[in-house]
Amino acid sequence: MTNSFSSLEVIQLNAAYGESKVLFDINFKVFPNEIVACVGRNGSGKTTLLKSISGFIKLSSGEVNIPNHNLVGLHPFQIAQLGIKYVPQDKKVFSDLTVRENLELGSYASKDYNWEPVFNYFPKLKLLLDRKAGFLSGGERQMLMIGRAILGAPKLLLIDEPTEGLAPSIVTHLRHVFTELSKKTSIVIVEQNLPLICALANRVYAIREGRIVAELTTPDEITPNVCEPYL
Amino acid sequence: MLNAWRWWRGIIIAFSLVAIGRLFLPLPFVNEVLIFSIYTIGCNFLLGRVGFISFGQPAYLAIGAYGTAFYLFYFGTNPYIGILAGVTAGFIFALIVAPLFVRLRSDYFALVNLALAVIIFYMMQKVLVKITKGDNGLWFLTNITSTPILDLTKPSDFFIFALLIAIVLWAFYKYVDGTIFGACCLATKINETKFQFLGYSNFRIRLMAFVIANTSTALAGCLYAVYLGSVSPEITSPSRTADPIVVTILGGVGTLFGPLVGTIAYTGLRDVISKMIGNWELFIGFILVFIMLTNSSGLYGGAENALNKWLEKARVSNLNKKKPK
Repeated sequence: MTNSFSSLEVIQLNAAYGESKVLFDINFKVFPNEIVACVGRNGSGKTTLLKSISGFIKLSSGEVNIPNHNLVGLHPFQIAQLGIKYVPQDKKVFSDLTVRENLELGSYASKDYNWEPVFNYFPKLKLLLDRKAGFLSGGERQMLMIGRAILGAPKLLLIDEPTEGLAPSIVTHLRHVFTELSKKTSIVIVEQNLPLICALANRVYAIREGRIVAELTTPDEITPNVCEPYL
Repeated sequence: MLNAWRWWRGIIIAFSLVAIGRLFLPLPFVNEVLIFSIYTIGCNFLLGRVGFISFGQPAYLAIGAYGTAFYLFYFGTNPYIGILAGVTAGFIFALIVAPLFVRLRSDYFALVNLALAVIIFYMMQKVLVKITKGDNGLWFLTNITSTPILDLTKPSDFFIFALLIAIVLWAFYKYVDGTIFGACCLATKINETKFQFLGYSNFRIRLMAFVIANTSTALAGCLYAVYLGSVSPEITSPSRTADPIVVTILGGVGTLFGPLVGTIAYTGLRDVISKMIGNWELFIGFILVFIMLTNSSGLYGGAENALNKWLEKARVSNLNKKKPK
């Protein structure tokens, strides 16, 4: 189990897609109210790392711990019930359901029916409640996915490439949202947008070919210039 | 009050039309439409709401029918208790089978259900011949006693009973569609992976949906048994496994009234065309191909879409007229 000071502890994590090994001996910790970013080239294993933590990919070996729980072997829905919410990259919402129904799904699963925090972060969602999620723009979908994930006050948010393909104004908005969210929860974010990462992250892990090759911890290190060689 | 009317109006209008149809159409036809549409609504829920295509619906129909038949042939005479026995048998059977079947992918699910229908057919025809009487079936029409208020031995009273059952069942499915559970069913159909990230178990949602759908299918079997006064293995014949799917697609997958419209079209075509030519299935086949190539929403779904488009057009045109020039 993780010590009581960290929200998440990953120890010697190895993961593979069938015979093809993707992650090698990953070790890292996430502390409360911390934003941890993972950077790396396409195919370096960032998304696989988030999927391994959220239970979607079975580990070859290693441990994933949160306070009082070992997540290894749990189903994704059980991990979500423990307050670890994964926001995937592809912005696929439940397109045949309305925004209201999408939020209701989040509410019912987390037993949190107070949508005010969601509307405080994303006021636009309040105006779109009766619209089918399939008709939302990319930015609105991302708002809905993050809004749905924060219901139930999650302990940890795993967010995969949240700004990919979004307009700069929405990226700025999301940056403020993540800053606010980090006051209440820990966030692990996978992102290629270095200015955003450097503005948000308390720590940055650089991943290359399935291995953590650098850990950047000081403001002097967390700069686009230092991070760029890892992309 | 207004909201209650809005909620009920579709169901009331649809089944009022069926009741009016009773005045003009032969009673056996209307009774068959009601029972067959009850049979199909479970398949429609599974296919339209959960994304499971099942070629094994006759198996669940047969379990309900034989549950009722066993009671009325061997144990008692009250048709209401017979129906209750059949529904209970259907519920228990679905509950036993569900944990095994709902783990499967949709294509495997379809085939394993087809296999189940074949197994049930041969069980009733050969293996359990001592109690099912094999191909001769169980005949209990004369065993059924008259009951007060609605006497199910009279086809006209049976019609009222089946109509009431259908209204309650449609209201139930409409209610389920509007609940969180209904949204969960749709979510598991749309993206089962992402659904788990919210904290839901696909297995539990599918299990519940499967049991609900197949218990209502078993209810249709009970109604068949009481209405016909007999049950034979023919009810789960492998040649009839596609019937509920055909009717579901014909009416409109996932629409509330698709099963009713599909059943009327299917039963009507069968009755009308089979009087003129033998191969009525050929026409159904052509119609299905036509529907799938032109409008995948089916008869009711297509009509509903066209009506919505027309209403939207009328609304926009009214708004434009009201705008000051």
